[in-house]
Amino acid sequence: MGRFHAIFRRLRGRLLVTGCLAALSCSSLGGQQAGNDQAVDKATLQLLLVRIDQLEARVRQLEADRQRPVPASGAPSAAAATPPATEAAAPALARAASQTAAAPASAPAAPASATAPEPDQTQSENVMAERMDLSKTLLRIRGFGDISLHGDTQKGDTTSFSLGQLDLFVSSDVSDKFKFLSEIVFEAGASNYYGVSSGSENAFDVDVERYLLQYSHNDYFNISAGRGHTAIGYYNTAYHHSTWLQTTTGRPFLFNFEDQGGILPIHTVGASANGLIPSGRLGLHYVAEVGNGRASRTPLVEEPVQNEVDDQNHKAFNIALFARPEAIPGLQTGFSIYRDVLAPVNAPRIGETILAAHAVLIRPKYEWLNEALLDRHAVNGTSSVFNTPGFYSQVSKQFGDYRPYLRYQYVNVANNEPVFSDVALRHGPSLGLRYDASESVALKFQYDYTFLRSQPNVNALELQLGFTF
Amino acid sequence: MLRRMTAILTIVALTGWPQSEAAVSAALSTESVWAQQGAAAEPLVIVVNRSNPVDDLSMAELRRIFLGNRSHWANGRRITLVMRDPDEPERKTILRDVCGMNEDQLKNHFLHGLFTGEILVSPKTLSTPTGVRKFIFNVPGAIGYLRVSDLDDTIKIVRIDELFPNDKGYKLHVQNQVGN
Repeated sequence: MGRFHAIFRRLRGRLLVTGCLAALSCSSLGGQQAGNDQAVDKATLQLLLVRIDQLEARVRQLEADRQRPVPASGAPSAAAATPPATEAAAPALARAASQTAAAPASAPAAPASATAPEPDQTQSENVMAERMDLSKTLLRIRGFGDISLHGDTQKGDTTSFSLGQLDLFVSSDVSDKFKFLSEIVFEAGASNYYGVSSGSENAFDVDVERYLLQYSHNDYFNISAGRGHTAIGYYNTAYHHSTWLQTTTGRPFLFNFEDQGGILPIHTVGASANGLIPSGRLGLHYVAEVGNGRASRTPLVEEPVQNEVDDQNHKAFNIALFARPEAIPGLQTGFSIYRDVLAPVNAPRIGETILAAHAVLIRPKYEWLNEALLDRHAVNGTSSVFNTPGFYSQVSKQFGDYRPYLRYQYVNVANNEPVFSDVALRHGPSLGLRYDASESVALKFQYDYTFLRSQPNVNALELQLGFTF
Repeated sequence: MLRRMTAILTIVALTGWPQSEAAVSAALSTESVWAQQGAAAEPLVIVVNRSNPVDDLSMAELRRIFLGNRSHWANGRRITLVMRDPDEPERKTILRDVCGMNEDQLKNHFLHGLFTGEILVSPKTLSTPTGVRKFIFNVPGAIGYLRVSDLDDTIKIVRIDELFPNDKGYKLHVQNQVGN
């Protein structure tokens, strides 16, 4: 209540001073001879009269507010506490200027004025009220999808229209520090686990591809738990289950999903920590992950991502470091080390180490992605070691709504590799054009030529319509 | 002289006695700078909540903040970004001079960042300067931008590369449309 009195007194005082100024301006008009000056002073007078009207209205409003009962919280509304801009633009700058002169750059700001409400309290009450309101949903849903026409020269394949993944990206701010995000994917087609196909070719399945609760403490420490994409290399965490976000029609061989014949542990169920490393303009970041790793039964006929039960007590872990130097916007370079032990049934355990390095340059108008990795399998109790190298390089440039792109990729799996028996050697270029028909729809046309070991090479064409909604 | 005295007294009347005459002079000189520029370009001021201890940001830091790549202030409070509606001159200035992107590119950037989880929240979009002021006044972690003529003392000005909006070399200016 005392605060209102103070405001009222202050405004009344200002009103009096302003009135005096108006009178002063009026009297000065009489002494002025030049017509132009008189016109200016008339304008000033008009301005001051308007201001008097505004201040009178403000006084009436404050008086009316005094008649109302004071809210229990005691926090006035932001609108009532926020004066019009024209009143205080000059002092805002003046105060800032005087702060500069009086205080060092790093000095904390002066506390809010005594008349201001407690912003923390106001905000937290509003947010809490919203969260507790069960009639409102806190979910945000963004959808992605694609429809393709694909044809190739591989024996047994037919030219087909295909429904791609229908991806619902769901996120929610659980609290100020906690956030939930998930990807729920409806997907048609048979699964292919390391060369073993299962399921109907035309039936839809539902997969929860990501399922993460994130805690964000500050820029240097964030943790998450659940199912997410393993931070191996760049592509796997930069692009998830949406083709619309990707330049090309699909992921590189190396980063194919597990149920589409991919060789990497794309998904991990576990916990992860990540954040910024204090490194100035170098922009270093870290990621540390621990999880169930992938199932290693042979042959695989089930989901290789161990969502519920790990087949052993040993846990997979992954460490990644990358830099985003300030001097070169869009550049990211980094490497990661992934370590797991696979436990095939009736066979020796296999130590798996995946080393990955990347250098990418992403600018609004162009991109250049380069990644290389080595997947090393060492069979326990023997001297057998199988190294699977792979890389890809992709470049694209935007010309208006068009973005032509080129990618070359390579994977070489030994014939007697104990885990990836079906992959062998495959490499070749992809050439394509992306056309952004609108801000949410992209049409892509891509040609792939793939060299295969001991098999005929494959030519493929794909027309894809990717979209977000 | 009379006009100057009137201006000073008007500021005193409307805002209370300033901290020093130098402060008033600074404000007046700012206005004269805009007048000299013929209102073709008005400084765009980066503003935060008054409880925010940040006084100064580099242009690179500002870019990271406005692209969502920095999500927390040094005191651990989450950054809430406030943007004006698309096509507003203030927003265009930020996109051009800070983000280096156009509207579609910015949208894709945030969509991508939210999708990967690197960006925690998308910007809050407000249609009026008053809305921006009120939002920043109420949200301790908020940061936004306003024209100098839209400022008031409920929010705090942040220097960019140690420069105030009225300093020579200040980089953010809204290009006013000719004929308006």
